[in-house]
Formats: sequence, C-alpha cells, structure tokens
Amino acid sequence: MKQKLIFPTLFLAVLGVAFTAQAHDPKEHMKGAESPNCAGMKDMDHSKMDMNDPVMQAMMKQCMKDMDHGDDMQDKRHNKAQDSEGHSMNAPEHPH
Amino acid sequence: MPSFTAFIKSLIIASLIGVLGSGVFIYSGLYPIGADVPHNQLSYWLLETLREQSIARAASDIRIPENLNTSDRLLAGGADYNDMCAGCHLKPGKIESDFTLGLYPAPPNLTLMSDGHGHEHLGKTDDESLKRQFWIIKHGIKASGMPAWAPRHDDERIWDMVAFLQRLPKLTAEQYQILTARGDSSMQHQH
Repeated sequence: MKQKLIFPTLFLAVLGVAFTAQAHDPKEHMKGAESPNCAGMKDMDHSKMDMNDPVMQAMMKQCMKDMDHGDDMQDKRHNKAQDSEGHSMNAPEHPH
Repeated sequence: MPSFTAFIKSLIIASLIGVLGSGVFIYSGLYPIGADVPHNQLSYWLLETLREQSIARAASDIRIPENLNTSDRLLAGGADYNDMCAGCHLKPGKIESDFTLGLYPAPPNLTLMSDGHGHEHLGKTDDESLKRQFWIIKHGIKASGMPAWAPRHDDERIWDMVAFLQRLPKLTAEQYQILTARGDSSMQHQH
C-alpha cells in the first residue's frame, strides 16, 4: 500500500517543482526593456524635492547610475579641456 | 378569501413559469452577447452587485502589509504594472487603447483617482480599497477580461503592484517612465 503511494507522491512533488520553476520571472521582460529617461532628473531643483517621498527615492534609485555616469562624463570632459590647456598635471582632483 | 394552499399553489406555478420563461429566453439566443452592445440596466446592476458583494466578502480577511509605501515596492510594482496592466488600465498621458475601447466592461483607467473610475467602490475605506485591489489582481474577475495573476505571481509581488497603484494617479508621464523602466539607466549612454 505504501509503495503504491510513493510514485504518485513523487510525481506530484516533481510536478510542483516544475511549476515553481516556471514562475513568472521579471527577467522575461528584460529583452528590449526600456531604460529610465533620467535626463529630466538632472534639471530638477533638488532643494524642492521631498527626499522622504518614496516616489522620489525610487526615482533616485533608478537614476543613480545615470547621474554618476553623467558626473563621470563631466569629469572626463573637464579633464580633457584641462589637458588641452596644458593644466592637467597641476589640476586638483575633482571633489565629489 | 383564497386559502393558504391556493396561495402556495399560485406561487409555485408563477415560479415554474418564471424558470421556464428564463430557460426559453436563454436557449433562444436572443440576448446580445457581443462586447459592443452594453448590458441593459437590469443585467448591469445584477452583475455589478454580484461582483462587488463577492469581492467584498472574499477580500475581508486579507491582511495588508505594513511596509506598503516604500520605494522598492514602487519600483517592483511599477515595472510589473507597465508590462502587465498598462495596456488595459493605461498610463499617464494616455487616455485610451484598443483594449479600453473594445473590452466590455471597459477596464478602469487607473491613472485617475478612484472617483474617476466610474466603478462602484466609492464608499470603501482605504483598507477595503487596498484589499479589493489585491484580491482582484490575484484572482481576476470572470468574463471581464481581468485575468488572475496568482498562478505565476506570489502575494508579495501582487502587493508591490497594489503599492504602485496608490501612487499612480499622481505620477507625471516622466515620473512614470523612470519608475517603470526595467532597463539599466547607464545603458542609454552606451552607443
């Protein structure tokens, strides 16, 4: 009797694992996923933003990399300009 | 004065005629079932009342998480909303889609505050409204086009969507785009 129950139980367990593995994964949506358009964030007046607002916090999280990247790009442009003027050796490190 | 027995007999006969008449009507195929013809007022009231009473009863025991208003929930729920819901329930800056024009009943525009939906849940408290939204996303609604998302989405993920819905009506199109984008923001600069 016990042996008869083993196979159906095993089958249901395997089926359960299989269905769990098929659970809707957000990565399924990653192909061709839109990137956040963070350009507008840079122009916003940060003093007027409510940093305790979860919407603002979420936007900051989304655009953190973009804003860092933007700063890096600015640094590179800044350093390049200094290089061309021949001041690069004496230029202080850009403060962050 | 008619006796009590005669009254019962009349009642049974009237009920039988009613059941028989309903059966004839159902099998006649006369009721317009196309989505492009609205229900008559009686059918609409019956279905709407049935739906709202059923949801209210079924959702009454749901427990609402305390940490619903967080940025992480907004990001997770926003991306899912954009992928799974925006086609029918719209997004800021969009007022109609093929689904909103063609589905009947028309899916509510969730970018509007609840009094703009045109659905009968105005008398509900905030908690009742949250439970209602969670239940509807999880279980769907029969013959309405609203699917049940429970089979492949756990409760936490559904609460994320509920959290996002609370902020959706006040989002601008720009805020919506940032919150719902799944891609990496730094990807924009990789040319």
